[in-house]
Amino acid sequence: MKNPLRRRILRELRQEFPKYLVIFLLMSLSIGFISGFLVADNSMLSAYWNSFEKYHVEDGHFRTPKAMNKAQKKRVNQLGITLYDQFYTDQAMDNETTLRIFAPRDTVNLVCLMGGRLPEETGEIILDRLYARNNQIAVGDSITAGARTWTVVGIAALSDYSTLFSDNNDTMFDSIRFGVGVVSREDFSLFRDSELMYSYAFTYESPPADEAAEKDRAEDLLEDLTQEIKLKSFVPRFQNQAIKFTGEDMGSDKAMMIILLYMIIAILAFVFAVTTSNTIIKEATVIGTLRASGYTRGELIRHYMASPLLVTLISAVTGNILGYTVFRKVCEWMYYNSYSLPTYTVLWNGEAFMETTLVPMFLMALINFLILRRALALSPLKFIRRDLTRKKQRRAMKLPYIIPFFSRFRFRVVLQNLPNYLTLFVGIAFANLLLMFGLGLPMVLDNFQESITTHLLSNYQVMLTLPMDTVNEDHKLETLFSMMQFSAGAETENETAEKFNIHALDTTYEQYKAEEITIYGIEEDSRYVPVDVSGSRVYASSAFADKYYLKPGDTVTLREKYEDDIYSFTIDGVFDYIGGLDLFMSREAFNQTFDEDEDAFAGYFSDTPITDIDEEYVGTVIDVEDLTKVSRQLQVSMGGMMSLVNVFAVVIFIVLMYLLSKIIIEKNAQSISLAKILGYTNGEISRLYILSTSAMVVICLLISMPLVYRALVEILHIMLLNEMTGWLPMAVKPIMFVEIFLAGVGSYALVALVEYRRIRHVPMDTALKNVE
Amino acid sequence: MFLSIHDIRKSFGSGDSRVEVLKGIDLEIERGEFCVLLGPSGSGKSTLLNIIGGIDAADSGEIIIGGERMAEMKERQLTLYRRKHLGYIFQMYNLIPNLTVRENIEVGAYLSDAPLPVDDLLQTLGLAEHRDKLPNQLSGGQQQRTAIGRAIVKNPDILLCDEPTGALDYKTSKEILKLIETVNQKYGNTIIMVTHNGAIRQMADRVVRLRDGRIRDNVLNADKVPAEALDW
Repeated sequence: MKNPLRRRILRELRQEFPKYLVIFLLMSLSIGFISGFLVADNSMLSAYWNSFEKYHVEDGHFRTPKAMNKAQKKRVNQLGITLYDQFYTDQAMDNETTLRIFAPRDTVNLVCLMGGRLPEETGEIILDRLYARNNQIAVGDSITAGARTWTVVGIAALSDYSTLFSDNNDTMFDSIRFGVGVVSREDFSLFRDSELMYSYAFTYESPPADEAAEKDRAEDLLEDLTQEIKLKSFVPRFQNQAIKFTGEDMGSDKAMMIILLYMIIAILAFVFAVTTSNTIIKEATVIGTLRASGYTRGELIRHYMASPLLVTLISAVTGNILGYTVFRKVCEWMYYNSYSLPTYTVLWNGEAFMETTLVPMFLMALINFLILRRALALSPLKFIRRDLTRKKQRRAMKLPYIIPFFSRFRFRVVLQNLPNYLTLFVGIAFANLLLMFGLGLPMVLDNFQESITTHLLSNYQVMLTLPMDTVNEDHKLETLFSMMQFSAGAETENETAEKFNIHALDTTYEQYKAEEITIYGIEEDSRYVPVDVSGSRVYASSAFADKYYLKPGDTVTLREKYEDDIYSFTIDGVFDYIGGLDLFMSREAFNQTFDEDEDAFAGYFSDTPITDIDEEYVGTVIDVEDLTKVSRQLQVSMGGMMSLVNVFAVVIFIVLMYLLSKIIIEKNAQSISLAKILGYTNGEISRLYILSTSAMVVICLLISMPLVYRALVEILHIMLLNEMTGWLPMAVKPIMFVEIFLAGVGSYALVALVEYRRIRHVPMDTALKNVE
Repeated sequence: MFLSIHDIRKSFGSGDSRVEVLKGIDLEIERGEFCVLLGPSGSGKSTLLNIIGGIDAADSGEIIIGGERMAEMKERQLTLYRRKHLGYIFQMYNLIPNLTVRENIEVGAYLSDAPLPVDDLLQTLGLAEHRDKLPNQLSGGQQQRTAIGRAIVKNPDILLCDEPTGALDYKTSKEILKLIETVNQKYGNTIIMVTHNGAIRQMADRVVRLRDGRIRDNVLNADKVPAEALDW
C-alpha cells in the first residue's frame, strides 16, 4: 500500500498555490537563466574552439616594415611554417573609429559570414558584426573614411578577431572604436603602400603538441625569423589577445554564475524550511498522533520534504526548458555583445543539467532534511501537547511596562518569528548584494572614467619607438649612426614636454597571475608627477598600492617578462593616480637600475600635442581614450546584464518578503481572529503585525547594507586580483545606498498591501473553531 | 497475562518543583479486556496511558506486552511496537485536514500488513456516506468516529483511548462508546480507556481507579452494562 499521506502533497500545492507559484517562478527563472548561460557558454565556447580548425585560424603572425620579397618568403617557409599574406590598413573613419581593413581571406583566418554577402566589387565592404552594431551600422549603410566610401554588404565575424583588440599590448579591447572589415581584392589593391601594414600569418607544418611546446616553438621561430628579416612585431597565437581572450573570459564567468544559483537555491530551501516548520507547528497534534500510531520520523520527514522537492523538480525541468530556449538567447546576446563570435549550434550540456537540476535538488533535500530532522525530533507526546519548545523552562522575556502596549506586542511578534526574520535578513542581504552589484558597478565605472579624465598624468603621453633596425650587434657603426639620428629626431621644442623613461616588468606574486607594472623614470622636479623621487626614492601609483595592498615601507619584487631578472623596489610613498599600475622613480635612478645611458628616455609627458618629432619615432600617443578602454568596454558588455541583475534583485526582495510575511500572518491567524472578536480594528491589527515586519525589514536593510558593501568590495577586489589586469577603485555614490534602501522598502510596501488584505480576510471563527 | 505493569514510577520537574505523578503502579490486563482507568485530574491516568503507549518513558518499573519488555526498546523499536500493536484515540480527533474521511482511515491502514477492509469499517463506523468529506465538513462525533476508524483499521492488539468522549455531547458520547464496545466485541482488541466520567466504568471488564499517582481499586466488573444503557 502506498503511503496515503502522499495524497496531501498535490492538495497542499493547490491550497498554497500563490506561495508555491512565487517560489516556482523565482526558482525556474534562476535555474533557466543559469542553465541558459551554461548552455550558451558551453556551446559558444565549443564553437569558438572548433573555429580554430573550421576557419583555419593562424598559429601566429608577424609584421615587417616592408613587404617581404620572394627570396625572403622562400627562406621563411623553410622554417617549418606556411606563410600567408595578411596585409591590412588601419583607416581613420569619419565616425571617429578605426577600421582595420583586410583583403579577402581564402586560406587562413577565414571569415564567418553572418548576414548579407561577401564584397564583390570596389566600394563594397563587410564589417565585423559587433563593431557594426556598436556603431549602428547595418547592411546597406555607407561608411566613409575621408574621400573613400564603402557600402556595407555583409556582417561577419573574423576568426582571428573574436575579441576586438587593435593592439596586442592593450589592456582591454575596444569594440566601439575599433573594428575589422574585408573589402574585395580589387578594392584592397587601391590602398597606397604607405597605408599598408605588412602582416603575415603563419601556420606550423607540424602543430606543437601542447602549450609548452607551442611556446618553445614560437621562441625558436622568433630567433630564426630575426636572422632572416626585420620584424616590427611577432605575435604567436597563444599570446594573441584578439584570439585567446574570448576563450579565457568565457570560461571564467561560469563559477560565479553557479555560485549565484546555489545561493538562490539555498535561500529558497531555507524559505521552504521555515514554511514547513510553520506547518509542523500548525499540524503538531496530527504529527503527534501519527507518531503515536507508529509512523516513523523518517516517513514524516519524507512526507514534509516532498512538496519542496517536487517544486524544485518542476522548477528545474521548466528552468532547463527555458534555459535551452529563451535564456540561452539572452546569454547569447550578452556574449555577442562583447565578442565577435562565429555562429554556433546548441549542444546538450550534461554538466549544466547536473548543476542546474541535480545539485539544486540535492541542496534542497539536504537543507530541508536537516531542518526537518531537528523539527521532528521531539517526542510524540510533545507534539500532541503542542509543546514544541526545546528548552525546559522557557520564560517570557520581561519587557518594562513603561514601553507602550502596542510596542511591547510588536516586540513579542518579532521574538516569536526570529527564525523567519533571520531568513529574511539573509535574503535581503543577498538581494542587496545583487543590487549593489547592479547599481554600484556602473557607478564605479563612471567614477573611474571621470577621475581618470581629471587626474591624467598629462594630456598627452608620447611614447617614442626605436626603429627595429636601430640595434644590430653585427653592424656597430650603423647602430651608432641610427642612435644619433634618433636622438636628434626625437627632441622637441614643446615647452610643456617633459622627458621620461619607461619599462614594463611583471609582478611575481605566487597566488595571482603575473601582471604588467609600468616603471617610470621621471624628472626629479616633475610637474606631471609631483612627488619626491630624489635619490632612489620610489612612489607607487594608488592603483598599484590599492590593488596589491601596498603601503610605504613595503617592498615589491618584479621580474623581467620571460626572463629571470628580478628587481626589488621599496616603496616610499603612494601617488594618487588610478590610470595604471605604476612605479615612479627618478630618471637617473631608473637608468641606473635598468642599465641604460645616463640621458636615456623613452617618451614625453606633455599638455599640448607634440608636433615637431619625426613621425618615424613616435610609437603611440596615450590619451584619455586609451586609459578608459577598460571601463568603456565593461560598460558596453555588462550594461545589459546590470539591468537584469537589478530586476532579479527586486524580484528576490518581493518574493522573500511576501513568503515570510505570509508565514507570520498565518502563524498568528488565531490571535488575529481573536483580536477581531475582542474589537480590534483591521488597522490596529495591521499595525501590530505588519509594522513589526516593516521595522524588521528596515533594520535588516540598514544592517545588511554596510556588511554587504564591505563583502562586495572584497569580492570585487579578489576578482580583480585573480582575473583582471588593471584596477578600478570601488567608489560608489551615497545615492546607491538610498536607492537600495528605497528598492527594499518599496518592495515591502507592495507586500504589506497584500498582507493587509490577508489580515482583513482572517475570519473571526478561526479563533472559535480551534480552541483546544 | 497479556499486559503486565510492575512498579511504574514517573515524576516531572526537578528540585523543589518535582512532582511525582505515578508512585508505583502494578497492573495486569488480559487480552481482549476492556479496562477503564478512572480518576480525577492529576491522578496520573493519562501519564500511565502514555507510558503504556510508549510515547512517554517511566523513571523506573517494567511493562511487558505480549512477552516484550518495553524498557529494553530503543526509540526505533518503540515506534515499530506502536506501529504493530497500538491504536490511539485522543480527546481531540487530530485528523489530517486535507485528507478525506476514507483517506484519514487509510493513514492508519498503511501501518499494518493486514489492515481491516476500509469500506467495511466505514460501514461499521456509520461513515460510508461521508467517506469523501474533509474533516471540516464533519460534526465532532463524525470526526471522532473517523479517528476511531484510523486507530482500529490496523487491527491493533491494544486500543488506547484518552478521554475519547471528552469533547462530545451526551448523545454523541454514547454513540462513540457504543462503537468502541462494538469494536471490542467484533475485533477482540484490548481496550484501555482513560476517563473521568464515572458512568463509563459500568461498561468495562476491569475498572482501575487512580488517585494521587496510586491505584486505589482494581476491580473486575461482574455486572457489565452495555453502552446503550449508560446514563449520566
